[in-house]
Amino acid sequence: MKMNNANSFILKRILIISLAFCITQFFSNISYTVEPDEILQNQEYELRARNISRNIRCMICQNQSIDESNASLAKDLRILIRNKIKEGSNDKEIYKFLTDRYGDFILLKPPLHLNTLVLWFLPFILLALGIYIVFYHNKKSR
Amino acid sequence: MKKKLLILPSIFFFIILSIFFYLLIIERNPSELPSNLLNKNVPIFETESLFKNEKFISSQEFKNEIILVNFFATWCKPCRDEHVYIKRFSNKKGIKVIGINYKDNSKKTIKWLKNLGNPYSDVLIDKNGRVAIDWGVYGIPETFIVNSKGIIKYRHVGPITDEIYKKINLIINENE
Repeated sequence: MKMNNANSFILKRILIISLAFCITQFFSNISYTVEPDEILQNQEYELRARNISRNIRCMICQNQSIDESNASLAKDLRILIRNKIKEGSNDKEIYKFLTDRYGDFILLKPPLHLNTLVLWFLPFILLALGIYIVFYHNKKSR
Repeated sequence: MKKKLLILPSIFFFIILSIFFYLLIIERNPSELPSNLLNKNVPIFETESLFKNEKFISSQEFKNEIILVNFFATWCKPCRDEHVYIKRFSNKKGIKVIGINYKDNSKKTIKWLKNLGNPYSDVLIDKNGRVAIDWGVYGIPETFIVNSKGIIKYRHVGPITDEIYKKINLIINENE
């Protein structure tokens, strides 16, 4: 009995630690590679640059944003975004500059166009269909 | 009704299966990214030239003839591999070959071109990669074909192989 208690205590501890670990990973925002010399003095500008960088795909690593990637193209683009902000471009202009050259693929979130409608709405349609089937089935079996 | 409900998911499953099968058998490379610049005007840029003393201004240069633009660097091994094909293009009549030297050391480039032969009618310097961004380049070597109206007709990412060489030749002939 005593052994059992000790076991459950350890188990509980492991559970709590792993839960805490998962939660910190979920909220942590430390994985960025912006180098010290890139950071802008103006905090407002820097924040804007970071927000844009988070939405821009690194074309080399493809599943990372340029904010997280240490590829040289990602660094070039980070610097370019900061220069554009300093020159007075707004966010929309910067996104347009990048998509004009690299296409919509450079955006991590695909924009809502006619050819991406299926991509955006199919999950909801399937969910609705699933709910309908489950309810219909339940009603029948009752 | 129950039977009907069972048939529906299986039909759906087979449709998905056939789509996947179709994507498997057609010839395509999923890692190849579409270029946004195809059928668009050549980007506007200005840069230094390696051998000429004057500035290269894109709006003045891209017209009247077909131009092959090749991004290369001495530190890039595939660039060395495709160099024979670039030389073959430079021997072809009615086409001008321009090289853009990406993030490289000028002295090394001059030596490299001396050793391997210089197929480029002009070598432009892209010290910080800014020109490459204007062209939507993400990994060198990259090759573009610009027609006589200054419109980009083809882009290839990666070294030129025998197959790509033939393809580019076809595109050049089409645009002549």
